[in-house]
Order: sequence, then C-alpha cells, then structure tokens
Amino acid sequence: MKKSGFFSKLYVILCFAFFYFPILITVIFSFNSSKSLSRFTGFSLRWYEALIKNTDIMNAVYVSITIAVLATVISTFLGTITAIGLSHSKKIIRETILTMNDIPILNPDIVTAIGWMLLFSSLGFKKGYVTMLLAHIGFCTPFVLTTVYPKVRELDPNLAEAAMDLGATPYEALRKVILPILKPGIFAGALLAFTMSFDDFVISYFVTGNGVKNISIVAYNMSKRINPTINALSALVVAVIAVILACMKLVPRISARREKKRRAAALASGKGGGDYTEEGSKHHLRRIAAAAAVCLFMWVFVLYLRGRSGTGETAQLRVYNAGEYVDPDLISEFEEEYGCKIIYETFESNEMMYTKLQAGDKYDILVPSDYMVERLVQEDYLQPIDWSLLSNADNLDPSVMGLETDPDNTYSVPYFWGNVGILYDKNVVSSEDLSEGWNLLMDTRYAGNLYMYDSERDSFMVALKALGYSMNTTDENEIRAAYDWLIRQRDEMDPIYAGDDVIDNMIAGNKALAVVYSGDAAYIMQENENLGYYAPEEGTNEWCDYMVITKDCKNTDLAHEFIDYFLREDVALRNTQYVGYTSAIKSVREQAAAEDFAGIDAYIPRTGYNNDEVFRYQDRTVRKLFAQLWTMVKSK
Amino acid sequence: MKHFRRLSTPYLIWCLLFILVPFVLIFLYAFTTTGNPVRTLHFTLSNFAKINDPAYIKVFVKSLGLGALTTAICLVLGYPLAYIISRQEEARQNALIMAVTVPTWINMLLRTYAWMNLLSDNGIINGFLKFLGIDPVTMMYTSFSVIIGMICNFMPFMVISIHTSLEKMDYSLIEAAMDLGATPAQTFTKVILRLSMPGVLNGVVIVFLMAISSFMIPKLLGGGQYMLIGNLIEQQFISVGDWNFGSAVSLILAVIILLLMRLMKKMDVQREDG
Repeated sequence: MKKSGFFSKLYVILCFAFFYFPILITVIFSFNSSKSLSRFTGFSLRWYEALIKNTDIMNAVYVSITIAVLATVISTFLGTITAIGLSHSKKIIRETILTMNDIPILNPDIVTAIGWMLLFSSLGFKKGYVTMLLAHIGFCTPFVLTTVYPKVRELDPNLAEAAMDLGATPYEALRKVILPILKPGIFAGALLAFTMSFDDFVISYFVTGNGVKNISIVAYNMSKRINPTINALSALVVAVIAVILACMKLVPRISARREKKRRAAALASGKGGGDYTEEGSKHHLRRIAAAAAVCLFMWVFVLYLRGRSGTGETAQLRVYNAGEYVDPDLISEFEEEYGCKIIYETFESNEMMYTKLQAGDKYDILVPSDYMVERLVQEDYLQPIDWSLLSNADNLDPSVMGLETDPDNTYSVPYFWGNVGILYDKNVVSSEDLSEGWNLLMDTRYAGNLYMYDSERDSFMVALKALGYSMNTTDENEIRAAYDWLIRQRDEMDPIYAGDDVIDNMIAGNKALAVVYSGDAAYIMQENENLGYYAPEEGTNEWCDYMVITKDCKNTDLAHEFIDYFLREDVALRNTQYVGYTSAIKSVREQAAAEDFAGIDAYIPRTGYNNDEVFRYQDRTVRKLFAQLWTMVKSK
Repeated sequence: MKHFRRLSTPYLIWCLLFILVPFVLIFLYAFTTTGNPVRTLHFTLSNFAKINDPAYIKVFVKSLGLGALTTAICLVLGYPLAYIISRQEEARQNALIMAVTVPTWINMLLRTYAWMNLLSDNGIINGFLKFLGIDPVTMMYTSFSVIIGMICNFMPFMVISIHTSLEKMDYSLIEAAMDLGATPAQTFTKVILRLSMPGVLNGVVIVFLMAISSFMIPKLLGGGQYMLIGNLIEQQFISVGDWNFGSAVSLILAVIILLLMRLMKKMDVQREDG
C-alpha cells in the first residue's frame, strides 16, 4: 500500500473535524454551568445530575439500544437469507420482492410511519415496544437486502453447486462457502441497519405508544425549551458508543488469543493443528451464539421490565400532554401519593395529538387547547367532568372559565392560559412604535429583524387582526386580504418563520421582534431582561389549555384525582414556576406574578378585552384553504 | 438451485403484510376524497390536480434542486475521502470507516441542535469571528445552514457506499493503466471511477432520497420559510389532516424518484456498454 501524502492526511482530518465538531461542542457544553448553549460560563455536572434523575431518559437510552440491536440482528438475518434465496427464485417472485422492498426506501419516512400506524391500529396491536421493534425491522431489512443482494449476484452460481457435489449438505454449502464470501456485504448491511434504527425519529414516534420512547422522541420533546440535559444525553450516547466499540475490538482479540493458546497447546500435545477453516467457522458460530444469547437475555429483561411496569395491581393512567408542559417531579409525587402508575407521553402540537387519537391510540387524560377541545367534543372523544369530585375546583380563576369553546366547562378543566403578543427588544424598539399595533411587524425599519410564528393559524390571526377582521372569519375575501398582508410582509420585511426555536433565539437576542405566546414570553423575559411584551390593541388570540378525560378512560376516579391534584395550590405553583405559563389558579397566579415573575408583564395576560378572541374549531375546507395559502406564503 | 429458493419466502410474506398493505392504503387515500377510503370509495383525481399549483410546484422544484445540490457536494467531498480510506491497510480502513459511521449514531436531532448553536447570529462561530475582529455573518435560516446540516448528516452514507466498491478494486489495474501510458486523469476517469460506479450510484440514491424527504433539518436550520416536500407532506398529514392530498404528494414523489433511478440505471448500463 502506498503511503498517504500530506494532503490526503489533511483532507481526512478536515472531513473528520467537520463530522465531529458539532458532537464535540455538544459534549463540551454538557459541562456548562449555565443554560447558555453559546457561552461557556464554568464547569459543572448539574446536567448529568438532572439526566440521571430523569428516569424517562434512562429508559429511552435502554429502549433505543435494545431496539437497535434486536432490529439489526433480525433484519440482517432476514435480509441475508432473502438475498440468497432471491438469486435462486423465479424471476416473478424476485421482481415482486425487490419492488416491494424499494417502497419503504423510496417513501418519505412520514408516509411509511402513517402507513404502519394505520396497520398496527387496524390489527389491534398494543402499541409500544413490540410495534416499534416490528417497524424498525420493517425499515432496516430493505437496506440490508439492497446491500447484500448485489454481493450475492456477484457470486459464481456454481460455487454452492460445487460444494454440494463434493458432498456438502445445502446448509453446509451455505454456511461454509457462501456466507464467508458475503461477510463484508452482510457487515455493511448490518451497520447500515443499526445506524438507521438508532437514529430514527419519525417512524418510532408514530408506531409507539404506552409510554415507550426512544432517545429521538425524548430529545425532540426536550427541544422546546433550552434544556442542556440533552447535551448531557448526547455525551452519554457518545460514551455508550465508545464502550460498545471498545468491546467489539476487545472481545475478538481476547478470544483470538485464547484460540491461539488452545491451538498451541493442541500442537504441543501432538494432536495436530486441526483444519483451519473448520476452526474458523466454529469460532464464527460461537460468536453468533454469544450474540444471540445476549439478545435473548435483553429480550427477557425487557419483558420483565414491561411486566413490572405493566398491568400489575397498581392502577394506571395514560396522560398525553404537550412537551415540556409539566414539572416532571409533580408526576412522580402523584404516583407515590396515590400508589398508581402514570404513563406519560407528550406531543408537539394539538394536531399531532389528534392524528394519534384518530389512529386509535388510547389515553385517559389529554391536555388540548380550546379549539381542539371543541373538535374533540364534536367528534365524541370526551366524557363529561364530574365537578363534584374536584375538591379544589374553587381555586380556579373565574376569568378563564366558560370560554366559548366549552361554555359550561362540561368537558374541560383549565390548566394554563395566556395570549399571543409581540416580544420586542427595548433597546431597539421605542415605546412609541408600539402604538402601531400588529402593523409594527410591517414597519420596514425592522425589516430582516423579526420572527413570525410558523403556524398558519397564528400567522393569519396576526394578519386578520391587523386588518381589523375576526380571526375566526370564514369569509374568503377577508382571508384573501390577510393572505395579501402576509405576502406583502414577506416581501418587504423578510421575516423568519420560526417554531419553538424562537425561544432560544430571543434569549440570545438574535432579533428585535417576535410573535410569541405569553407563557413563552414570560420564560424568555426571565432569561433576557432587555425584552418587553405587549398585546396589540387590535386584539389578539386569547387561549386556554385544558385537562380533559377521554371516553376510553375506565378509572375515572383516578382521572379526577389527577386533575384535582393539579388544581391544588402548592402543586399549581410549582408547575407554573417550572413551565412559565400563566396558572389557571387565581391565588397561584397572583403569588407567582408578585414573586417569581415580578416585573414580567407577559405573565399576566389581559382578560375581558373586547377585541380578543378564542380560536374556534375550523372545518376542513377553511383549514385546507389556510394551509394552502400558508404554503404559498412560505414558498418564495 | 432449488435448495435456497424457500429462503426468501418469509420475507415475501412479511412484505405483503408490512409493505404492500400500508402502501395500498396510501394509494387508496391518494385516489379518493375525504373520509375512510375503505368504507366509502369515491375515486377522484382531484388530489393530483391540486398539485398543479405554482406554490406546490415551487416546493417540488426547490426540494429537487436542494437535494441535487446536497448530493453533488456529498459526492465531490465524499469521493476523495472514500478513495483515501480505501488505500490504507485493512485494519486502518476498518477503523476509519467506523469513524465515519459513528457520528451517524449520535442522534440526528441532537447534531442539528448543535449546528443551530454554532451557526446562530450570536452563536459560537460568530462569537469567534467577533473575537477576531470580523463582522458577524448571518448563517442560520439560509440555504447555507440547511445544506451544512444535510451534508454533515448524509455524507457518511456516501463515503461508506463508495468505499464498499473501491475496497474490492484490484489496484494492479491502476498500475497497469499507468504502465500503458494513461495520464492520472485518464486513469481516474477510465479505471477508478468506472469501477467504483456502482458504489457512487448507490450513494447518490441514498443521499438524494434522504435529502429530499427530510423535514426536520430544513425545519430547524432553515426555518418555516424553508418548505420542502417532506415539510409539505408532514403539514398535510399532521396539521391539515388532509391525508388524501398528503398521500397524493408522496405518491408523486415516489414516481419522480423511481424515474430518476431508472435514468441512473440506464446511464450505468450505457457506461458498461460504451
């Protein structure tokens, strides 16, 4: 082999620097003492402490690894035997399998995910570890097959024939002749399968259920707020991989050494060295057996874990809430206090929650927003609340009761509430400018210096209110006018349509203006004191998120206890301190506003203002129109 | 060779259940109107007609363009790396290929968050530039940030794929070509590149597919204005709940991809013939 020159070495180093740079940054900042992800303020292990305490993450690490290993082993096996079988089968079968095999590779993940979600639901599978594993096998095997099959085709078809002519059984021919030649291909396929499985988010999210999460799902949910615990998690994953790699390097070495010793001993005792290939394949087999044993062990362990946390004697409650929308300690304290098990899952948006409900996933308690409550009631997903069971109901703030979406609160108990407004940098935007209302977002002095919220309803709300229309309008002319407003804003102001990343961006002070939810504003203002918040005079979206009980809920007593628990003053206080959104408990709101959020007006959204409205449920046609227009706004 | 034929039967059954059935469902959705396609069949082509709208066509063009650009950059940067690796001793090759693979095991989302912190206006890179006395540069929410994120995530797949076919190449062929008077450029195009073509094509397909259907990277690094096909499909399935249109979009995407793959296969065959 030629020695590589200076430039090739440099090139390799540069490439690896590029691959590893983000990982290195993540690991470094996992030791940061502050929340900042761009300034290193000092060494600390606090995020690791938080990580270890967080059983959710530790379970996710376990799920990710076991699923990846099992899916890799099974899909490699399945893919390899299929590849060998294919090269000998009839053309029609071969073509059929290869065509079907391409479908999961060709389809975007989200389509495959929805397809499987529908399949599992219609087959009545209990969603969780098994469905996730099946799905992972489902998308890993095609990759193994496409990697191994070309190698099989390159084989001389007479090889196996020759082996059998020489007296080998088909199985022996396979094991001793064909598989050793295919080994590099199989290894490459297995590596690809592991990678795909370990990194998957979209498919896992849709096919899982009952609280089974992998690392991606947890990481996705944690991204809503700056939470450096995810950096600690990355560092942990790096460490786990390093350990696995070290084992992979060490185990063959140790066994090789042992082999050598054994062989030397055999030689010394005069029995002869034995046939090399025979020894080799035995060695190979042993390794496979060891791998299989490990997998079996893990499988049993998983079953044990599932059995323990599963349908034992303790009562269970399946709660589905938005991400980062509860203090997790409160959940575990409730479990202890009431001797029950909470299966807690999170969603990114009301619509994502609805998609899962629609596919037949079952939960006991949901935390949707106003307009979604209206829809769920209409579509008969909810059961009425028995208010007599809620001893703390009197704590609720009367100003958030009886909103139009559920006028008598028959089905819904307020959880957090707020409005939508403009967050501005006090050093850049003068207070006189605020009188422009929503049209401040059209002021060319701030062109290129603002974030809009990437959600069609919220953006159309801004435009409709700026034009003086109702945000619940179904009049197509008004909607078109709002569309023109948004297009003009896009062309003149060059805004960035951000999601939850607006939170980190505004804390870092990247831009002067942003459309945000009041609760997020309160949280951001705690971290960056240069910011102010205001709700324009033209009116805004006043919203409320509720706790509701589904029709699927059997243990309604426990469900009511759970809701009542979150109406308790001490619990609600800790919850609002953690989340930053405005509590629906009056005394708690007053206390938090005076102490924790002193001087932060975003924590107390205005109430009873005439121009403010609550989002109503939109029917399909209007929703489609909004989506289409919003796509046109975004695709420049 | 009838002996091994039966080996593919389990997967055939698997495919029918886990691939064909969901695919038929998607297919049904694409050709029907609202509601459950199994209970009420109302066939229509309106879902496909809807795509003939400037906004959606823009989304398609942008995605395909970005996918092609990302793939081209991955190929140009990844090929030399794969080649250099393939010329090392075997143990070293394995170690290096492992080193290329490992970053892909760190969650894609986690790596993307890291890029967000690196590239943001007050981020680490701009902090460093400020330290050097250079004016900060806007990198987040641009094509630049999206492409950087995609390359960082997808290039390893290109490298691994090319390396697989370079690895088994007989290097005496190169020496033979040189001995026969070929220039290095000729040796590269006529011998090395041609022999590694299967790996290149495989890598191109994998990276291109990932690039045009990914929706998390454009969403996080490009912002909402970076609407690609993946985002469009996600939007239709999740926020609008229009599964019919979402299915139609993904079917069209699949057809485009199939056509492109056919085209590439043809190119490959022509190469072998010519």
